[in-house]
Amino acid sequence: MIMSTTDSQQQHMVLDGDDVGFTSGETVLQVAEREGKKIPTLCNDPRLEPFGGCRLCVVEVEGIANPVASCTTKAEPGMVVHTKTEPIEAYRKLLLELLVSENREVDVDALRGYASQEFASLVDRYGARTGRFVGSKSGSSRLDDDNPFILRDYDLCISCYRCVRVCAEQEGDYAISVMNRGFGTQITTEFNGLLNDSACTFCGQCVQTCPTGALADKKALKAAELPGAIHKTRTTCAYCGVGCSVDILTKGETMVGIHPAMDGPANLGALCVKGQFAFDFVQHEERLQTPLVRGEDGELHETDWDTALDRAAAGFKRAVDTYGRHSVYAVASGRAPSEAAYIMQKFVRAGWGINNIDNCSRA
Amino acid sequence: MPCAGRCDEPIPVIRGDQVLIGTDANDLESRPSPVPSPNPQGREECVFRHIREPDRSTIEGYRRTGGYDGLTLAVSELNPAQVIDIVRDSGLAGRGGAGFPTGVKWQAVADASGAPKTIVCNADEGEPGCFKDRAIMDHDPHAVIEGMALAAYATGAPRGFIYLRYEYPETLGTLQRAIKEAEEAGLLGERILGSAFDFTVVVRRGAGAYICGEEGSLLNSLEGRHPFPRNRPPFPVTHGYEDRPTVVNNVETLASVPHIVRRGADWYRALGLNDLAGTKVISLSGDVKRPGNYEVPLGLPLSTLLYDWAGGTGSSRSVQAVTMAGVSGGFLAGEDLDVTLDEPSIRAKGSFLGAGGIMVFDDTRDMVEIAHFAMEFFAEESCGKCFPCRIGTERLTERLAGTAGPTNLTAWLDEVNDIGRTMKAISACGLGMAAPLITESLLRYFPERVAQHVAHQARD
Ligand SMILES: Cc1cc2nc3c(=O)[nH]c(=O)nc-3n(C[C@H](O)[C@H](O)[C@H](O)COP(=O)(O)O)c2cc1C
Ligand code: SF4
Ligand code: SF4
Ligand code: FES
Repeated sequence: MIMSTTDSQQQHMVLDGDDVGFTSGETVLQVAEREGKKIPTLCNDPRLEPFGGCRLCVVEVEGIANPVASCTTKAEPGMVVHTKTEPIEAYRKLLLELLVSENREVDVDALRGYASQEFASLVDRYGARTGRFVGSKSGSSRLDDDNPFILRDYDLCISCYRCVRVCAEQEGDYAISVMNRGFGTQITTEFNGLLNDSACTFCGQCVQTCPTGALADKKALKAAELPGAIHKTRTTCAYCGVGCSVDILTKGETMVGIHPAMDGPANLGALCVKGQFAFDFVQHEERLQTPLVRGEDGELHETDWDTALDRAAAGFKRAVDTYGRHSVYAVASGRAPSEAAYIMQKFVRAGWGINNIDNCSRA
Repeated sequence: MPCAGRCDEPIPVIRGDQVLIGTDANDLESRPSPVPSPNPQGREECVFRHIREPDRSTIEGYRRTGGYDGLTLAVSELNPAQVIDIVRDSGLAGRGGAGFPTGVKWQAVADASGAPKTIVCNADEGEPGCFKDRAIMDHDPHAVIEGMALAAYATGAPRGFIYLRYEYPETLGTLQRAIKEAEEAGLLGERILGSAFDFTVVVRRGAGAYICGEEGSLLNSLEGRHPFPRNRPPFPVTHGYEDRPTVVNNVETLASVPHIVRRGADWYRALGLNDLAGTKVISLSGDVKRPGNYEVPLGLPLSTLLYDWAGGTGSSRSVQAVTMAGVSGGFLAGEDLDVTLDEPSIRAKGSFLGAGGIMVFDDTRDMVEIAHFAMEFFAEESCGKCFPCRIGTERLTERLAGTAGPTNLTAWLDEVNDIGRTMKAISACGLGMAAPLITESLLRYFPERVAQHVAHQARD
């Protein structure tokens, strides 16, 4: 069973009594999850560096006195691991009881964010609503932050630092930081200010990784009172050519929010502010449904596409006839895919015979 | 008020770059930290061997009694492996808390691939009741520098840091002056003593966090990162400062090395009693007639130190309890005071000697109140990385203060024991693992007092 350590392909360990294979470099948690073990975690986001803070993922390793965090421990050949012993399950339950005791509430609206139900579902799984360990509460909400996107309801924060780490590791923005220490730990921004004054780009990644809903999607929460279950529809974000996968959240016929698709091949859970939050134009009452052209009266009037395109072509032609071909200039939309952008520059170069072509993407 | 590491003085106050001592705000004086007194039994010492000699903190004073002879010997006559052999054979183990064998640590760094390697002297001395590193650095700074240089020679490290706790402003000046003297004498810098060995030392100040004494946090702090402890493995010997092989050693550990290299492994081993190797500096404070730093042979009975060396409580009162490892080892009391000063003896009682801080409490002291102070310290200093310690230290503090928690004794004990057991088993670093030793030992030695406390909690 114990294999040579130099064989990086086919290594073996024993997991809850079963011989399992792994590749060198994998963590015990990764191996266990692949084997279908339901090890509880709260500080883990598979996209981030293992952190080892919540300690829920601890497992027993034979030959090591104390349990180890499976998320930070690399699988080793010959390792004998127990993921669910009685003492381990007791530690996990106790941690969850402690967490319940420090928070204002456990149950939150699923509209708060992608991972917002993680904490409550673990609390239920372990029957941790025992009312033990009563004491002071940690974290204080920043309801004074009136940015339109991100609710900072730190009364619910459990200091897992996923928001801090996703902002640093995934986004490279370092907008979120940690103030104080121990029980006084407070998630904050530079100089304890508002998100708007920080390096935040409002990509919403912190919201989507937060396991308690302490960071929440303000726009989605507007639909909290709307009746009906949340329905998810997988699609591709229409904003630019990257093609990020998203799940559109709807209640009945109403679009209420967006979740990034963690398995989206182009984005692996990432989104930008537009894809994440700027969805309300879709069902906005002022959204244009047909083209408009200006009439003799100087007002805009609804029309059909043929009429509108003829008017545009006539306008360009008049400009070129009057001022020469260099008087026109085209800017392709960043929302157009590469193919459309290609057609656009072709039209400008071959059709107008000029090189005045640009794209609005300046990211 | 931050801790000035002067537990042996009445009331220390830090003002600007000075530590002032006194009992009245209008009558404060700047006093150098006390030179350790010689022990009354005339026991042979290692670290304090020459510390009382005049001008010891200057390079001339240091050289007068063989200072830098160890480094000279190593650079001119020994190869790095031989230096490591001497340190390993001496049985020297870490004096900063964990007691890891120093020679084994150096060997691991010497063997590790990756460069440049680094020597870090852990001078954060944050443990309540520990003020030994301060005495060593204030009065024998060159011993620390020579110890670092020997570690550097042995492991092939060209750079070193002294991570000094913020609250030792005068010590900073002393170290910087000593480093300059050593550089001018060609004992630090390039081509040390005319050899091919280069080594520079820089002092970095901490910012007032106990957790920065934990080696992973210390390294993160040195690198300018948030000082959460690092996940282990990997250990600093392979992935330390800037993820490169690094020795992290305590001040006392490093200050022992020059004596060991000069006098040999057998000499050091023989300093201990009962087959134990070497000596340990104990910082003794609290209800004791002669507080201060004492270098004891490992294996010395605690009672010999308390009564014969330090004069007992100095009153008609008896010793009710002592802390171990500063406060990290919890309390010893009753028959368990009958230990010898060494890890095997003290660990058998569920505690540990650690960095060697011992606080004495006579029978007038309220042990629940003292336990509360100690737990409040851990709660204040918990870094907040891991759940069991971040919340556990707070809940234990509240229960010891009587401000929250059950009023029924059985329920109270269940909560306190359950939290303690969990913290000990699965906290992410030594702080959270050690903190519950306070409640564990309190419950062991003072159950009646605890019952009384639980019954009489003042609660709105
Ligand atoms: C919370 C905590 C605080 C610590 N503080 C110190 C300290 O102030 N000084 C120190 O030398 N070691 C301290 N240590 C121990 C260090 O992590 C490390 O083991 C030590 O510096 C290694 O040196 P040594 O082998 O020479 O003892 C601390 C450990 C923990 C867990
Ligand atoms: S706000 Fe959410 S993600 Fe951030 S630390 Fe708190 S619980 Fe974790
Ligand atoms: S045990 Fe305490 S000090 Fe150590 S990592 Fe956990 S929270 Fe931080
Ligand atoms: S998931 Fe491993 S410690 Fe949180």
